[in-house]
Amino acid sequence: MTDRIDISFVLNGEERAFAVPPGRRLLDLLRDDAGLTGTKEGCGAGECGACTVLLDGRPVPSCLVLAASCGGHEVVTIEGLASDGALHPFQEAMVREGGVQCGFCTPGIVVTGAAIVAAGVREEAEWARLLSGNLCRCTGYRKIFSALAAASGDEHA
Amino acid sequence: MDLPVRHVFRPESLDEALRLLADDPLARPIAGGTDLVVQMRDGRRLIATLVDIGPLGLAEIRERADGLEIGACTAMDVIANDRRVRAVCPSLAEAAGLVGAWPIQCRATLGGNLANASPAADTAPPLLVADAELVVASRSGRRQVPVGALFVGPGTTCLAPDELILAVHIPARRRSHERSIERFLKVGPRREQIIAVVSLAARLGMNNGVISEVRLALGSVAATPVRAHAVERCLEGKRPTAALRQQACEALQDDIAPIDDVRAPAAYRRMAAAVLLDRVLGEAAGD
Repeated sequence: MTDRIDISFVLNGEERAFAVPPGRRLLDLLRDDAGLTGTKEGCGAGECGACTVLLDGRPVPSCLVLAASCGGHEVVTIEGLASDGALHPFQEAMVREGGVQCGFCTPGIVVTGAAIVAAGVREEAEWARLLSGNLCRCTGYRKIFSALAAASGDEHA
Repeated sequence: MDLPVRHVFRPESLDEALRLLADDPLARPIAGGTDLVVQMRDGRRLIATLVDIGPLGLAEIRERADGLEIGACTAMDVIANDRRVRAVCPSLAEAAGLVGAWPIQCRATLGGNLANASPAADTAPPLLVADAELVVASRSGRRQVPVGALFVGPGTTCLAPDELILAVHIPARRRSHERSIERFLKVGPRREQIIAVVSLAARLGMNNGVISEVRLALGSVAATPVRAHAVERCLEGKRPTAALRQQACEALQDDIAPIDDVRAPAAYRRMAAAVLLDRVLGEAAGD
C-alpha cells in the first residue's frame, strides 16, 4: 500500500487541495477526485487530444501529466472556460457554427481552440498545425475552423 | 489508471534532486513525462521512485560567448519558436516543432527527448550535426558529454543512474560560407504526431558551388541516432553534380543499419533516407 501525497494547485480559478496516490495522472484526478468529467480519456497515450487541459495557460495532454507535478501550478479544464455564466467566445462560436458531431473530442478541441484564440493566431494553416493533435474522427474540422475564425474575429472586434 | 510508482519527490533544489537520485538507484528523473508516462503505463518501464525535476527551473535559454545553452527542461514549443535557436541551430528549432503535436510540444522537454534515447529522437540529429554537448551533474560533480557519446542503444544512454542532464550546449558555427543550408527532414505517415520512420539533419556550407562543409545525421536508421561519416567524406570539397548525388546515396547505405519494425521495413528506410539526402543535395545544387 502506497502513501498518498498532498497536492494543491489552482483549478479553474480556485485553490484546491487533494491527497492522491503518487502515480495518479492529472486526468484521473480531474475526473475521479475533482468530479470534473468534461475532460475525456481517449487513447491515454498523448496521441488523440481528448484529454487536453490548460496548464499555466498552455494546452497539455492530461493523460501524460502526473498530478503531483501540478502542485503550485494553474489548471483550467473545459468546465473552467466559461466565466460568470457566459460561454468562452470559442465555445459560443462552436455552438453557433455547429462544430460538434459526436462530441467526444469536443472538450479537448475547445480547450486547444481557446488557447489558439488566446495566442491571437489568425492563419488557417497555423490553426491546422496547432489543432493537429486533437483528432475528430467524425472529421468535422471545417466547422471547427469556422468557429475559430468567428472567435478570432470576436477577439479582435 | 494510476501509474505503478511508489514515491514521487519534488525537490526544490538541485542538490536535493541529486541526493535523491544518488540515494535510490531505482529513482528516475521525470520532467514533461510524455515518453516516460506512456512507457510506465504500458509496463515497458518499471520505476519505483520518480524525482520531478520540473520545480528546478532548468528551462532557460541563455546566450553565451561560444554559443547557446538550452536548459534541459525547456519545452519543445519554446525551442521551436526561439529566435536564438533559429539562428544558431535552425534544424533543432525545426525538429522541436515536429515532436508530437502542439500539446505534446508544450510538455515534452529537450533533456527528456535525449535521455529517452529513442533511435527516432527528433532533436538528436540536429544536435549531432551541431556538435552539441550535454552538461550533466551528479553528487560527485559536473561533466560535459558530447551528444555523439550519449546514445548507447535503443533506450540506453552512457549516463549513470544518479546523473541528471542540466542543459545542452550548442556551439556557435565557426565557419562562414557564401551559402549555408541547414535542414531537418522527417518521413512518416503524417506530418504531425508521428514518430519518425526516417529523419535527417543536414548542415552544408557552399562556396563557389563547392560543398566546403558538410555534416549529416540521421534518426530511425540504426540502434542510435547516427552521423553519416561515409557520406560526408564522399561530398566534402566537391560539386553536388547528379553523379556525386548518386554516389552519396550509395555511400549512405554504409552509414545506416535500419531494421524492420512496426513503423517500416528496413528496405523502405534505406530508400527514404536516400530520398531525404538527395533532397538536401538538390537544394545545394540549386535545383
